Amino acid sequence: MVAPEVHHLFHHPIADHSFSADRQTLAVARENNVDLYAKSGSGFKLQDELTGHDKTVTGVDIAPRSGKIVTCSQDRNAYVWEPSPQGWKPTLVLLRINRAATCVRWAPSETKFAVGSGARLIPVCYFEEEDNWWVSKHIKKPIRSTVTCVAWHPNSVLLAAGSTDGHARVLSSFVKGVDERPEASAWGERLPFNTVCGEFLNNTAGWVHSVAFSPSGNALAFASHDSTLTVVYPGGPDQPPNAILSISTQVLPFMSIVWSNESEIIAAGYNCEAYRLQGSEQGWQLAGSLESKGRPGLTEQREESALNMFRQMDLKGKSGTDDTKLKTVHQNTINTIRSFQESGSDVTKISSTGVDGRVVIWSL
Amino acid sequence: MSQSLRPYLQCVRSSLTAALSLSNFASQASERHNVPEIEAASSPEVILNPLTVSRNENERVYIEPSINSVRISINIKQADEIEHILVHKFTRFLTQRAESFYIMRRKPVKGYDISFLVTNFHTEEMLKHKLVDFIIQFMEEVDKEISEMKLFLNARARFVAESFLTPFD
Amino acid sequence: MANINWRTINIDALDPDSPANFDLSSLTPAVAPVSTADVQNNAQQIRQLLRGGDNEGALQGALENPPYGADDKGKEVHLAAVIEILQSIRQSDMSPILSRLYGAPGGTEALDVLMKYIYKGMAQASPSSDKRNITPQVTGFSQVHARGGGEGGGQAMSVLLSWHEKLVEIAGPGSIVRVMTDRRTV
Repeated sequence: MVAPEVHHLFHHPIADHSFSADRQTLAVARENNVDLYAKSGSGFKLQDELTGHDKTVTGVDIAPRSGKIVTCSQDRNAYVWEPSPQGWKPTLVLLRINRAATCVRWAPSETKFAVGSGARLIPVCYFEEEDNWWVSKHIKKPIRSTVTCVAWHPNSVLLAAGSTDGHARVLSSFVKGVDERPEASAWGERLPFNTVCGEFLNNTAGWVHSVAFSPSGNALAFASHDSTLTVVYPGGPDQPPNAILSISTQVLPFMSIVWSNESEIIAAGYNCEAYRLQGSEQGWQLAGSLESKGRPGLTEQREESALNMFRQMDLKGKSGTDDTKLKTVHQNTINTIRSFQESGSDVTKISSTGVDGRVVIWSL
Repeated sequence: MSQSLRPYLQCVRSSLTAALSLSNFASQASERHNVPEIEAASSPEVILNPLTVSRNENERVYIEPSINSVRISINIKQADEIEHILVHKFTRFLTQRAESFYIMRRKPVKGYDISFLVTNFHTEEMLKHKLVDFIIQFMEEVDKEISEMKLFLNARARFVAESFLTPFD
Repeated sequence: MANINWRTINIDALDPDSPANFDLSSLTPAVAPVSTADVQNNAQQIRQLLRGGDNEGALQGALENPPYGADDKGKEVHLAAVIEILQSIRQSDMSPILSRLYGAPGGTEALDVLMKYIYKGMAQASPSSDKRNITPQVTGFSQVHARGGGEGGGQAMSVLLSWHEKLVEIAGPGSIVRVMTDRRTV
C-alpha cells in the first residue's frame, strides 16, 4: 500500500477543507478565517487568507468549474468569494437564518449551494441575476433540530440532510428558473421545492454526522453517533425502500463518509483513522482500516525504548513508555474526508483533515 | 480490595473514551453562542443517557455526555467522619484553584465529591487518551492522598497528646 | 393578578416551536408498550432455564426481548433477572459465551442490550448517596472500621465490572457509545 502524504499545516483544528479542481489550491477553515494554500513542490505553502467571518468557520467548498469559494460560519453568515486581480472578493449571501451555519456544499451544477444550520432549516441559495446577489429559499419541514451535514445527488435537485434529530432525509430543492426538470429516479418523480422524498431513522437514533449519495445516486449512506453506518436503497417513489442496512461497528463513531464506488464506502471519525466498508443491497460489513499496521516509524520507536524509558524517567519522572503519540497518522479526530482523485467513476485517492491540523492524502 | 480496583479503572477508562467523542456545536437556543450543552441543558436531543460506573456504594463515577461536553463526577471513598472532613478540605483546595486544572468544575454535582467538565475545546487542544489518563490517575492518587493525610493526622494527634500529657505523668 | 411573578415563567417550555420542546419520542419510534405481567412471566421462564443449568440459553432469552416499553416496575424485574444470570455464570465461561452470542445473528444487538443492563445494574446499587451519616461520634473510635465498602453490594459490582471488561474486549467502545445514544432505556 502506498504511504499516505501527510501535511501538518498548523496546530489548530481544521473544521472543513476543499481542493480546487486541479488540486493545486487547498482551502482550509481555521478558526475565524479560511487559509488558501498553494502546492509548492511536495508541500503546501500559505498563499492567501480569507477573513471576514466573526466566528468559527464551519464549512468551505470550492466549486470545481467556476473556482468560486463558499464559506459559512457560526456567525449566521455565508460568503461567496470570487477571484479577482486584487485578491478574493467576498459577496455576502442572504441566508436569513438566526442561528449558526454548520456546513455548506455546492450542487454539482454549481448554480446553487445548500447550507445546513442550527436554525433547523436549510437555506438553498442561488444567484438572482436582476438583483445581482445570492438569495435563499428555506427548506423547513420536517426538520426538528440542527442540520449537521448536507450532500447533493448528481442531478443537483435532490438534497440529503442529516440532523441531530437522528433522521437522514432526502429533500427536493428544485428551484424554478435555476434547475431543469430532473429525470425520474428511485427517489421520486414530481418534485416541487421542499418535498420529502424519504426520511430514515435507524433503531439506535444517534445524531447523523455525515450523509452521502452513492456515485449513481441510487443509494444513500449516513453515519451517525451511535457508531453505525446505515445504507438505504430506495424502492421507488412512494414505495418503501428495497433495503435499509445498518452496520453497528465496534469502533468510535464516524464523522465523515465518502463513497469510493458503488459497493465501497470510506468512513473516518473519532478513531483517528479511516475504515473501508464493503457491501451491496444484500449486506454491508466493515472491511478493515485504511492504515497498514507496520509503518517504519513504529519500529524505530521500539528499538530505542530503553533509552527512551530512562530519558522519560529523568525528564518527566515517569517510568513508562511515551504514549503521547497515537499509532495512527492523525493524532486527533478526523473531521472531513473528500475524494481527491477519481479514475472513471471510482475514487482512487481521498484527502482527510482533522482536529490535529493535518491534511493527509490516502491512496485506496 | 485492590483486586477490584483494576477492572473498575478499566471500566472507567473505556466509558470515558467512548464519552469523549465531542464536536463543536453552536447553541440552538441562543444565536452566536457556543455553550457546553450539558450545562445549558436547553435541548433534550443533544444530551445523551448518563452512565454510572461503581465499585461499591461509596465509590462511583457518574458520566453525563452530550454533543460538545461531558460532565464527570466522582465519589471518593469515605469510611468515617475524619475522612469525610479530609475529603471535603481536599476537594475545596482543588476546586478553589479550578482554573489551573482547565477541566475541573468549581462546584461538584449534587451527590458527588468532585466534578470535571470537559468540552470539545479541551479535546481539541489536548489529547483525549491523555485526558482519560489524567482522570484515572487522579482517582488513584486521591485515595492514596486521603489515606496519607489520615495517617499524618493521627501521628500528629498522638504526638501532641503525648507531649501535652507528659508533665502530668 | 399580581400573584403571578411574570419574570419566572419559563417561556421556552410554553413555546411549541422552541428547541427545548423537542419530542424525544420521535427518536424511539418502534417501542411498543409491554405490561408488567408479561415481563414477570418472561422473568419466570428465564429463571427456570437458569435453574435447569442452561446459563447461555437463559442469557440469550433475557437479552432477546428487552422490555423497552414496560414501566419502571417491569424494568426492575427484568434487571433483577439479568443480574441473577450474570452472577451465576462462572468467570471462565464468560468469554466463550460472549463470543458465541456475538457470532449469532442479532449478536451486536444482544451485546448492546447486555451493556445497557451492566450500566443500569451499576447505577442501581447506589441508593441515597447524599445522606451520609454524620453522627456526632468521637472520631477516635471510627478508626477501628476498616476502609472497605459494603461487602454484599461490592460482590455484585465486581461481577458487573468483570463482565464489562470482557464485553468491551469483544464488542468494542462502539457498544458503549450505543448505550449512551440509544433512547430506548432498559
